[in-house]
Amino acid sequence: MRSTRHVVSPENHPDLGHYSDPPLLVLASLASGPKHGHAMIEDIASLSGTRLGPGTLYGAIARLEQQGWIEPLPPEERRQPYRITVDGLRVLRAKLTTLDQFTRAGLKRLEAR
Amino acid sequence: MTPALARFLTRLYPRNWQDRYGKEFEAFLLENGGGVSTVVNVLCSAFSERIFPTRGGKMNPDPIDPMSFGTITKRPSAFIPVAMSLTALTMLAFVLIGEIIQNGHIIREADEGAVAHLWQILMAGQLPVIAFFAIKWLPRAPKPTLLVLALQAFTALASMAPVFLLKL
Repeated sequence: MRSTRHVVSPENHPDLGHYSDPPLLVLASLASGPKHGHAMIEDIASLSGTRLGPGTLYGAIARLEQQGWIEPLPPEERRQPYRITVDGLRVLRAKLTTLDQFTRAGLKRLEAR
Repeated sequence: MTPALARFLTRLYPRNWQDRYGKEFEAFLLENGGGVSTVVNVLCSAFSERIFPTRGGKMNPDPIDPMSFGTITKRPSAFIPVAMSLTALTMLAFVLIGEIIQNGHIIREADEGAVAHLWQILMAGQLPVIAFFAIKWLPRAPKPTLLVLALQAFTALASMAPVFLLKL
């Protein structure tokens, strides 16, 4: 289930302008350091313009953790922080590289028009 | 969001999911609140989790605490000093038992043999490893790290005990 909400103004960003792949967004957020759920949501909102719902966020967290791409840290009071694993970093790099190649190829085609 | 609503929404998820994430998810819902869109999002996610469970519902119910004693003991810098002390002790024991069997008593030689040198290397060599372990893990997980350090100290003392008690 992917439920995300736009948090950027539609004037500056057209409808297709935001990126929504919750597991990738969570990995990208954790790439800058361990975070708990609320910090991830805020970071992802500023990073991609997408505000993940709690269910969507925890769906992504569960899948990423069960795949060994993120891992929990000791709880801080009631908050549960997570960090990206070495495998997670490798996966994130591979996915972003693919996206980068795709973006470059797509922009090249647009320039050729 | 009220505690009752947060609990209700969490209980919509499958049992395995609740066992693993229920507590933190409920706390997260309580902290972050949210309106109708949040409730709809959680309802849809819980339904989706029931239809397409994470890892077919066979997720690890109780994840291993990365800062537990058992996990930290598996770090090379935790078990290598213990292994070095035990190796030194075993080596010493073999030599002493061999001498007792051969001569009926322990021979104290003025010239240190190869075993003595190896013992010294093993005992001195573990000091930087112990220092690395303490610097790295004491700030992160003080209690289990202190337990591992105590274990390292115990095995080192056990290895040194025959040398000092038998005045080798």
